[in-house]
Amino acid sequence: MDLTARLLRAAAARPRLLVLTTPGGTPVRLAVEREARLRDWPVAATPADAGLLVLAGPGHPGTAPAVERLWRDMPGPRARLHARHPDEVAAALDAARARLASPDLQRADAAARPAAPPPDELPMAEQGPDRDGLWLDRLHVPLGPFLPDWPAGLVLRLVLQGDVVQQAALAGPAPVPGPAAGAGGRFWAEPWLRAAAGEPVTIGEAARRRAAAQLDSLARLLALAGRPGQATRARRLRDALLAHAPEPAVRPAVAALHRAVCRWGTLRRLTRGLGVLSTAEAEAAGVSGPAARADGDVFDRCREWLECVARDVRRLDATGPLDPADPVGREGPRGRTTGPLPPSVALAGLLPRLLTGTELAGARLIVASLDPDPDELAAAGAELAHD
Amino acid sequence: MTEVLLAVSGVAALTGGVLVFTLDSMARVTFALLGSLVCVGGVVALLGLPYLGVVIVLMMVMEMLIMAVFMVAYMMNPAGLMPMSMLHNKRGAAAVSGGVFLALVAGIALAPWPDRAGAPPRDSTVQVGAELMRGQMLTMVTLGFVLLATMVSATVLATRRGRYDRFGDDLDRPAHDPVSGGVGR
Amino acid sequence: MTDPMTGPVAGRAAQPVAEAGAWWAVPAAPALLLGLAVLTVAAGAVLDARDAGRAVTPRTALRPLLDVAHALVRQPRRLPASDRLLWRLGVVTVPVSAVLAVLVVPFGGHAVADPSVGLVWFNAMEVLTWAGLWLAGWGPNAALSLVGGYRFLAQGLAYELPLMFALISAATGAGSLRTGAIVAAQQDLWFAVWMPVAFAVHLLGVLAFSFTGPFAYPTGRDLAGGVLGEVGGADRLLLRAGRRLWLAAGAAMAVPLFLGGGAGPGLPAWAWSLVKTLLVLAVLVAAERRLPVLRADRWVEFAWVVLLPLSVVQALVPALVVL
Repeated sequence: MDLTARLLRAAAARPRLLVLTTPGGTPVRLAVEREARLRDWPVAATPADAGLLVLAGPGHPGTAPAVERLWRDMPGPRARLHARHPDEVAAALDAARARLASPDLQRADAAARPAAPPPDELPMAEQGPDRDGLWLDRLHVPLGPFLPDWPAGLVLRLVLQGDVVQQAALAGPAPVPGPAAGAGGRFWAEPWLRAAAGEPVTIGEAARRRAAAQLDSLARLLALAGRPGQATRARRLRDALLAHAPEPAVRPAVAALHRAVCRWGTLRRLTRGLGVLSTAEAEAAGVSGPAARADGDVFDRCREWLECVARDVRRLDATGPLDPADPVGREGPRGRTTGPLPPSVALAGLLPRLLTGTELAGARLIVASLDPDPDELAAAGAELAHD
Repeated sequence: MTEVLLAVSGVAALTGGVLVFTLDSMARVTFALLGSLVCVGGVVALLGLPYLGVVIVLMMVMEMLIMAVFMVAYMMNPAGLMPMSMLHNKRGAAAVSGGVFLALVAGIALAPWPDRAGAPPRDSTVQVGAELMRGQMLTMVTLGFVLLATMVSATVLATRRGRYDRFGDDLDRPAHDPVSGGVGR
Repeated sequence: MTDPMTGPVAGRAAQPVAEAGAWWAVPAAPALLLGLAVLTVAAGAVLDARDAGRAVTPRTALRPLLDVAHALVRQPRRLPASDRLLWRLGVVTVPVSAVLAVLVVPFGGHAVADPSVGLVWFNAMEVLTWAGLWLAGWGPNAALSLVGGYRFLAQGLAYELPLMFALISAATGAGSLRTGAIVAAQQDLWFAVWMPVAFAVHLLGVLAFSFTGPFAYPTGRDLAGGVLGEVGGADRLLLRAGRRLWLAAGAAMAVPLFLGGGAGPGLPAWAWSLVKTLLVLAVLVAAERRLPVLRADRWVEFAWVVLLPLSVVQALVPALVVL
């Protein structure tokens, strides 16, 4: 065996994944993240570092160009896979890893690679006044549709001066055509939608789903705040809940995570005053749920999630039917599901105002602390497009 | 060995200096200048003043990096994506710099250099320190305060918001800043 | 006024504390540094596995080394309008400066070199990471990467001055910039004991110039990796290695500066140096995983309003004691 083949095999023993989720692909993403965690396959932040492009979820024309661009940006050796269903993830990852380790396939891929397109004419930066009254360059930077720990598909067009956001505009995600827009395409809100459609859903099932959804949001926020260890713990808890772990198994871990996040008040001190949203403002904007109840900044919303999760974990075994009078039945993970539009639409609508004037790091934390669900946004886009 | 290193550092410093005026990207210009200054630090260290030499490297790296921020922020064409020239008033500049160069070389050749009295010190750092802190103490203290006052007043002049804008007319309300700081104001 | 070179320090250093210039020290110092750096990677991998709920086996600790194979087979990346010369220069500067910095760090009784300005040399090499990271952020011509490069400068402006005062405290305590003399001056009492603030600031500084843990801001996840976002292959390996090498170099330097170097009962000097370095590294690895990322808007103000005055007062203590 020649040296290249050996190195390829060694590199493929721990492939680095670039996970791209399409609208409606949340369950597939969860399966990919779980597999990656158990196999110790790191999740890369950019194509420069990744060897395996994982497209999770149903095909979606709106994000296809971005996916192709990232694939073109990914240097070899590389492989890609498209998992449409959670059950096929493990096998698809194995198959892709085999392709990654194959010298023949990789040589063929390198040979078939199209030459890089010539760079576009690069525009000079325009200028404008900044918040301190200086006249500075302005840079147009889109955030999304794919970024690590970002609601996949969401696009925010930012005007930056230095790393200060001067303007922010919402530009996505593209609506989902067809059946993906239905209840099945909105994984986190599914129990409430099913109950509304008259199907029998237990309180325990809904509480479990809501706690998992909020742990998923929390993990993203913790990862962005620079606490990868706690983010991993939140994801483990989320996976345990979705795998029907009984209440006694998760309750101490939830309490321990709560303590760890709040310990020493460092996170509170570092996020104080970021993205302040009072209950009144939130309700005026149509936001319900934890973001409205938190009545405060990024950390208040983080703590609200932790408290919601702690409450929901106590109800995992409740067998009563989900009904709108019940505290669990009233709202899904992001808020009330009974309105004309999914709750994430109002959350996303707040972003341009809350982000203006913040620094990039703060802006990312604010987005993560509101965490609009891309599945709901895409479904709403489809509904709006349909009307 | 020292002579070879000295020659190499000297020539490299000069080359860096020339590159400053021939490159067309602000980032590259900044780092050509930094390279040149690092070589000057090497020359000083090789001449028997290791403290000053290493401090030149240390300070110049920090200073040129801050410089890079401003060069990129305020000069057009920071990345050199379009052709541009760093040369202005070529004929006058050539005359002035040539004249200065010749005068300095003439100074080297014509100055009556004293013969060495005594042996070189074991550690020149102590002597540099003693010279600055004994003989030139007053100069250094004055210089320090002037520099500090310059920095503070430049910042005050550059800031649009004063403390009354931030803390209110009676200086009694919490600071009103676009981004709050880290010590709880 | 005592002349620092002929004062009590020189008298105390009657037996040579750091023997400089042994030929084998030249390859040994980088090798030891690399060994310590790999150790921090392995420790990180074990702690990661524990967090992720994976079984911890001996292989767990070594799995991150597979990234070396990944880096070696990786094809180079071409980006439109990138400045490859400056990019490469920046990437190489970070690990190279770490190796150059440890040349003056005494380990046991030995150092590659013990120049009269060893401490300033270490500081100057550390400042080279400013250039390295800014260039690594500038080179690829990508917005998020550039923001990462600038973030390191913002962070540097905050940590560098307190760090310098911490180093100066140790130098003042010994009355010399020679690392060997600083070790010799601690034969009775470690500097960490009576300069705790300087020691703590030095440890914070180590995390900062290794841009890791609370100071991973330039490579933040919110910037999709920032400075690390666009580098792949060998370049990425160099930058990541530079990060771990600097962590190890900073820990190795903390021992002669504040923990009495190789001094200790029973064991030979090299063993004490190794034990102390490993302990400092353990503290650093634990700290980098516990603290959240300090964003520059919060950290700069804290550094200037709290840390800098504290470290100036700290520097005043040895100045008053020694003079």
